[in-house]
Amino acid sequence: MRRLGGEVWFGLILLALCSAVAVLAPVLAPYDPRAFSGQPLERPSRAHPLGTNDVGQDILSELIYGARVSLTVALAAGAGTVLLGLLVGGMAGYAGGWLDQALMRLVDGMLSLPRLPLLILFATFLGSGLPQTIAVISFLFWPTTARVVRAQVQSVRQRGYVRMARQFGASHLYVFLRHILPAIGPLIAYGLVTSAGQAVAMEAGLAFLGLGDPLVQSWGLMMRFALNLPGLFLTDRWLWWLLPPALCITLLILALALIGIGLERNLNPRLARRWR
Amino acid sequence: MGVGRRAFVYLLTFWVILTLNFLLPRLLPGDPLAALLDPSSSDYVYDPEVRAALAAYYGLDRPLPEQYGRYLLGALTGDLGRSIRLNRPVAELVVGRLPWTLLLVGTALLFSSALALLTGTESAWRRGSWADRGLVSASILLANVPVYFVGMMLLLLFGARLRWLPLAGGRTPFARYPSALAAALDIGRHLILPALTLTLAMLGAKFLLVRNATVNILGEDFMLVARAKGLPEGRLKWGHALRNALLPFVAHLAAHAGMAVTGAVFIETLFSYPGMGRLIFESVTARDYPVIQGAFLVVSAVVLTANFLADLISLRLDPRLREGGAVG
Amino acid sequence: MMLMVQDLRVTFLLDGKTGLRAVDGVSFDLAPGTSLGIVGETGAGKTTIARALLGLHPSGCVQGSIRLDGRELVGLSEEAWRAIRWRRIALVPQSVGTALDPVYRVGDQIAEPLRYHLGLSPAEAWGRSLELARRVGLEPRHLRAYPHQLSGGEKQRALLAMALSCAPDVLVLDEPTSGQDMLSRARLLDLLDALRREGGMGLLVISHDLAAVARLTERVAVLYAGQLVEVGPTAEVFQDPRHPYTWGLLHAYSDMSAARDLRGIRGAPPDPANPPPGCRFHPRCTQAIDRCRREEPPLRDIGGRWIACHLGGLQTLLRAEGLRKTFSVDGGEPEERVEAVREATLDIREGEVVALVGETGSGKTTLGQMLVGLLPPDGGRVVLEGRELTAARGKERRAMMSRIQLIPQDPFDAVSPRLTVAEMVREPLDIQGIGTPEEREAKVRQALRTVGLPASPDFLARRAHELSGGQLQRVVLARALVLEPKLIVADEPVSMLDPSEQARVINLLKEIQTERGLALLLISHDLALVRKIADRILVMHRGQIVEEGPGNRIVTRPEHEHTRMLLEAAPRLG
Repeated sequence: MRRLGGEVWFGLILLALCSAVAVLAPVLAPYDPRAFSGQPLERPSRAHPLGTNDVGQDILSELIYGARVSLTVALAAGAGTVLLGLLVGGMAGYAGGWLDQALMRLVDGMLSLPRLPLLILFATFLGSGLPQTIAVISFLFWPTTARVVRAQVQSVRQRGYVRMARQFGASHLYVFLRHILPAIGPLIAYGLVTSAGQAVAMEAGLAFLGLGDPLVQSWGLMMRFALNLPGLFLTDRWLWWLLPPALCITLLILALALIGIGLERNLNPRLARRWR
Repeated sequence: MGVGRRAFVYLLTFWVILTLNFLLPRLLPGDPLAALLDPSSSDYVYDPEVRAALAAYYGLDRPLPEQYGRYLLGALTGDLGRSIRLNRPVAELVVGRLPWTLLLVGTALLFSSALALLTGTESAWRRGSWADRGLVSASILLANVPVYFVGMMLLLLFGARLRWLPLAGGRTPFARYPSALAAALDIGRHLILPALTLTLAMLGAKFLLVRNATVNILGEDFMLVARAKGLPEGRLKWGHALRNALLPFVAHLAAHAGMAVTGAVFIETLFSYPGMGRLIFESVTARDYPVIQGAFLVVSAVVLTANFLADLISLRLDPRLREGGAVG
Repeated sequence: MMLMVQDLRVTFLLDGKTGLRAVDGVSFDLAPGTSLGIVGETGAGKTTIARALLGLHPSGCVQGSIRLDGRELVGLSEEAWRAIRWRRIALVPQSVGTALDPVYRVGDQIAEPLRYHLGLSPAEAWGRSLELARRVGLEPRHLRAYPHQLSGGEKQRALLAMALSCAPDVLVLDEPTSGQDMLSRARLLDLLDALRREGGMGLLVISHDLAAVARLTERVAVLYAGQLVEVGPTAEVFQDPRHPYTWGLLHAYSDMSAARDLRGIRGAPPDPANPPPGCRFHPRCTQAIDRCRREEPPLRDIGGRWIACHLGGLQTLLRAEGLRKTFSVDGGEPEERVEAVREATLDIREGEVVALVGETGSGKTTLGQMLVGLLPPDGGRVVLEGRELTAARGKERRAMMSRIQLIPQDPFDAVSPRLTVAEMVREPLDIQGIGTPEEREAKVRQALRTVGLPASPDFLARRAHELSGGQLQRVVLARALVLEPKLIVADEPVSMLDPSEQARVINLLKEIQTERGLALLLISHDLALVRKIADRILVMHRGQIVEEGPGNRIVTRPEHEHTRMLLEAAPRLG
């Protein structure tokens, strides 16, 4: 890895901060986020720095525990996406031929679909639990990664040293582990970070649309409940109820995007800004 | 790929979508459709007229292949079932909502594309300058901030704080317009905030695409030759650089159409705009399965058509994609 | 005078601070109807010059002066340049494949400058494009095609038509033949040559294709690391290169007429961001002296040729004038004297491989021994690096003799059977009294490694009878190298070896010659062998040098009868 730009450091620090909050949530949060620790719709006070929600739960505690949800989604859905993308892209790029053609048509088809409506459809019928959400996001977002991975695998496979290795009698597994995996290593990191960002945005978006796990107090769900309150914008209540979770999500997504940009710059620029 | 093959791939994709839409609820444990007709379920539909319509539409007592055949036939003839919530045909609901979404998405696509092409080319032309760097940073920010966040901020600023623009809806409720112009003005006023949000939401990614594509093109040999030919700056910038940057831009229009739909769902929800997105949101809240499925099919069809159109434009724009090899 | 370039310097900024001077003080001029070639290796700055002539570098990068009919172009605004570009100076770019905009028809791109510069209507411009296309041998259907539908040669012609569209005063051709197959290259050269003959335009041909430059230009300038090192009439420069770099460049160029193997210039071109001090060529030059390392040589007129070299170009290393040697046959009458060498005159230049060929008894060994100072001549003189070897005495003579080393024919005769390998190789150092014992040991090891022999204690302790002929010949070579000579005279160095050893030793000799920048005089009876490595061949017959010339000329077009006989006698397979 070469020199990191300022914005990458900014992203890394934000991400580290968010992770620290998530890990230390029980220590940092003043209340159990599920406990009805105050009167409904309290204004910010010493006891409740961000006030309480419509059922009297402490908003700050909700916010702190919400970091766990978003990071879980980021990590799990990011990993899921990359794993699927790696599998399909690697297979298509390495095998070539009709398998490659078929898989790439599948990727093209999936990329041409409107993702959010598809996501909504799945969420509607599969239920809105967090594991289902993660699975569905992984399932919908792998094609982007698969396409980039395939391009890289294909170009590495064409190189002389890979063909020579085969000539020396190397097994496919050997070639994959020794030559191809190292070449797509940076891509994996890049794919992980960018899909994690998309996953966070999508999970929050689903919760925002009322398709979130009602048992998991995520930032998206906080926004949903805030927006459900009639006349939210007529008072300044949105300032401590709606804005903090919205800001948290935005900052987390931005942090992941900035890290992604830094990684992208270190990648082969030909691959990074690829179009047809 | 020729036009025919492209059309075939899209038709195939649409068929997969149709099938997925059919199979998804039926293959799941605890069949959500059966629950609609099961008096012991919490989803039980109490209105006997609606229940009868649903039973007829889904035909759950028939074998699966027959259900599939009837479903396909229905979808192709415009029968998308009946809304549980509103007791109206889904197709009728969609026809009432789709124009609003097309208006919103169309306006935003037009403005964001025009702005992105102009500023992107100009920014690339002055790459490394103060203005370029500022625009790139702003666009990275804009491209990554979730669309609902942008919407909320605009809603708060223009709607709630400044009270310049209406907060919600596609038109003033119960208004009777004296003229078509008055109607257009009212609809336009309601369109501004949602369309602005969607424009901003797409602008970042589009700007970056145009700008980076143009920077690459400016490094091409043919640009150096064009400069060596002593052509005026305008011709270089717009006639050669932008003209070539249009190719990747149009190739990405398809992806942007999908992005626009995603944005529309959030924005219509946020601004209570009476389009397809709002319809989906309302149906999700009410577990109105036929509407969700119908809306999904229509949106997919529209996006796939947009993809196909973008491919046709690409073909017009890039002679290399057209049929025919060497002349000699 | 139409185009005058003076002290052109182009500097690019790397990472905003460090300057990279791609072109450093280049001057030339180009009159209407004349042509000039600029040749040099990749990275020498050729394309940078071409772009500077059209004002395509960022402003501030270019310094010096470019005058067109007296008007200064350096420092012009982009707007003012626009009027010069294509109307006055046009360019055929190097990258043919990517130089046309892929989205426009070829004809429209040819017509484009006509419309903007000459204000022609679309129809008029198209009509003119058709004429231009005909002139370069394209058909109307090519104009209606898009670039990707044309072959490389057709694109090159389209670019040429485009460059000719506004009838420019100066046409710059940047690597016109690169990437073309041999047939389209030939057709293109015919076309360009015809264009040149039409006259009127000044033609600047920038290329590493020396044959193309030879065909298309009257004068040539040789560019090395951003500086001109030699300028002169093309035919003369290519026939008789004076600057060591030009000489090396020509010898590295493969053409059909060369019988000899390709020879590279030792080392590599300098990093343009960090050029060596003094003469930029000195690290690769075989004749560099101290001054070359310190001072940059100016380009100056030396006998009608412009050369940038402190020494005035390639030096004569060794010159023999009228050498004579007569032997009396043992116990015979004074009349029975054999004139072994009669009035032999020859010179050997720095870094040159000269072969002295003749049959047994032609006197070539005698001549060789006189050249190295082993045999005093009866008449004439030998001049080494400007000093007369034949007149030198004592210490001076000893120093001079260390500059020339002899590799004799029979290695077993050349070494004492009693000495070990270490002692054999060290002997010259001991004799000359060079260095401490440790330094001598180190030099011995290094010389042995250079000739591909082990420097193990075991090998160092061996004696002559324990070595093969090839090994012993290498030991003799190593012994010659320890004194770091400028000239090696090898007298039939491989004739005692079996054929595979012969090839290896000859290759080794050639390799050492190139890397160390030595001159080599190869004495042999075997024309087939020497023509592979010799730049020049001298043919000796009955004590006289009867023919002399470039290796390929001697082999392909021998003039002297005796040379022809030698050629016919040369071994052939099948």
